[in-house]
Amino acid sequence: MAKVFIYPATSLILSDLVARFGHKPLGAALGIRERIQTAGVDSPPLQITPEEPKRGLKYAAVEVPSGVRGRMAIYGPLIEEAEAAIIVTEADFAFGCMGCARTDELILFTLRQSGIPILELEYPRDEDEGIRFVAAVKKFLAGLEDGGEA
Amino acid sequence: MKKVRIAQLTCGAEYSGVQKEIYDAAESVGAEVFFPDIALGDVERAVKKFGLDVKSADLKLMIARAMALVEGKVEADGVFIGTCFRCAEAAIVRNELRRYIPENSKLSVVSYSFTERTTAGTLLTRMEALTTIARRRALLAREEQTGITMGVDSGSSTTKAVVMKDNEIVGTGWHPTTEVLKSAESAVSDALEMAGLTREDIQAIGTTGYGRFLIGKHLGAELIQEELTVNSKGAVYLAGHQRGASTVIDIGGMDNKAISVIDGIPGTFTMGGICAGASGRFLEMTAKRLGIDITELGPLAMKGMGKNVPMNSYCIVFGTQSLVNALAAGSSPEDVAAAACHSVAEQVFEQQLQEVDIKEPVIMVGGTSLIEGLVYAMGQLLQTEVVVPPHSQYIGAVGAALLASGFIKGE
Amino acid sequence: MAEYTPDYVGTVTKYVFVESPTMTPGELALRAYEASEGVLIKETCFGLQVTGEPESVDRLLEEIRSFDPTHIFVKDRGFPPGDPRRCRANLGGARPGYLGHEREFRLLRYITRGLEELGRREGDEAEPAPPETKPKLDIKRLQELIDSEES
Repeated sequence: MAKVFIYPATSLILSDLVARFGHKPLGAALGIRERIQTAGVDSPPLQITPEEPKRGLKYAAVEVPSGVRGRMAIYGPLIEEAEAAIIVTEADFAFGCMGCARTDELILFTLRQSGIPILELEYPRDEDEGIRFVAAVKKFLAGLEDGGEA
Repeated sequence: MKKVRIAQLTCGAEYSGVQKEIYDAAESVGAEVFFPDIALGDVERAVKKFGLDVKSADLKLMIARAMALVEGKVEADGVFIGTCFRCAEAAIVRNELRRYIPENSKLSVVSYSFTERTTAGTLLTRMEALTTIARRRALLAREEQTGITMGVDSGSSTTKAVVMKDNEIVGTGWHPTTEVLKSAESAVSDALEMAGLTREDIQAIGTTGYGRFLIGKHLGAELIQEELTVNSKGAVYLAGHQRGASTVIDIGGMDNKAISVIDGIPGTFTMGGICAGASGRFLEMTAKRLGIDITELGPLAMKGMGKNVPMNSYCIVFGTQSLVNALAAGSSPEDVAAAACHSVAEQVFEQQLQEVDIKEPVIMVGGTSLIEGLVYAMGQLLQTEVVVPPHSQYIGAVGAALLASGFIKGE
Repeated sequence: MAEYTPDYVGTVTKYVFVESPTMTPGELALRAYEASEGVLIKETCFGLQVTGEPESVDRLLEEIRSFDPTHIFVKDRGFPPGDPRRCRANLGGARPGYLGHEREFRLLRYITRGLEELGRREGDEAEPAPPETKPKLDIKRLQELIDSEES
């Protein structure tokens, strides 16, 4: 079982397919869950305190907006943990945790730099594309099981 | 009391760790923030209709929520627009929305760019102004002062008091703010003495400015209100322009306010002042360096040419250094005074006046409005004649006295 | 600064979405309750939320998926169900993630089709081609166009 970072990190489709085919999806929910279940200073709604953008300095310089750094404090550790990634590039309507285009660019760059196996796709627009989409994800994930490059 | 409902249109607040600060600021002024409810289809439609093709989904969400408010699908008493400081994409959206909403609805808007260091305290005055506008529309509609009232404006640099009687200013008092209560007492005594009245004659008191809560409690004030709404009211009252649109600029000792006013009520407004280089304080320091009184700085600046002095920093420290260097290099005090005025005006122009729509007349108020070199520089930048009403330095106190008359018993 | 004491520590919460012509969220909930064995189940407009110890949740999800494998989809959630910080009733409007679900929910039928087709071809050598990424304009064709314009 490989840890697979999903992009959009809030994607239902990717979260489902990765788990369905026997791997562990790494998405936004895991980062949020960790914060929601950790005692500390009260900072609703996401338990992201003003300390998080400071932690995000590990991934982005101080002149980068606080929202980007705060988000990177969630995603950075998940990306470091990931053994592979599946990317659906048009996340134009992924809100909230994925709602900042600058963060999204930085996540994609960090993933591509990391050297882990990556599958890049687009959302299916019809049934034929749906078939190809699922097939590609399945094949990629099966390749991870073999321990080889997908 | 029913809570004032402020619609929150933001991108990045939760991830900057400042959402709680927004909640807290709203709660402390009896308001609650909420997120206008919309569906995905609304977002797609709104983005297309608005015509601003941003990439960030949460900015699209802001646009759609703004449109839901303007179209009346969601009701609110005021709007808070906030995005991350230093994000260009978000700044464009924030700017366009704070223009779009008041132009197409009656909603008042406050906009702010936050960092992880933004606190509830910073947001408080802005939220308070939003709730005041929503809650006290009837009070803010007052155009005439009646009875005998007093207004006290406890600012960061100076404390001002004004006594008004039957729509006339009959007494004024002015003291540097040292100890907040003591300075207020002195200003109040002077104003009463000038008016030939005693404390017992006063029928209602209003307080504003930084020390408003402390002084308000001490004096038993009927009205304690933030300076954004009070100064707007005072400015249009003194300028004789109570109806229609106007712009109020108040360069204070510690922060600056730029307010776009409609019928005496703020539509959009900004408060700035992270840097002292854009404040009255810088002009005070310049006067000190030139060995003159602050009251002499304005006339001196009018005789000089600011362009003759190289000023390449807005910072109060480096800016002052530039002026000292210029003096050492042989620049005239007149030119240096003019350069200092231009520097402050330019900074306010670049950083704050871009955030509100400038509608004529432009009214300058507060103590710095007496520095004619500064008013001149602002007029040059805005390409308009800036109005400085009589008693402009007492703006907050006059506004407070005017509004306080709404609290006279039997009124 | 107020202290924060978390609830549901050590649990996981997952969304279960059902997009099926034969099973409504209500029916899904009924069948899920029968198999729940102590896992907390909350019915929603799109399906369910299940909360419990990770192993129990995994076991239940395996069973739930088996009701209708190609029409049931599962996703992690950071918050426990009904959390006031994310609840629409408290926020005034849907949390941003809800709209993201709306976006992907529209595409689920294509994924269903993919899963069905792949199930049918199980063991079949002929795999469907991966998604094509065609260049917008072939470089040779571009050259031809330029040449024809210039001539």
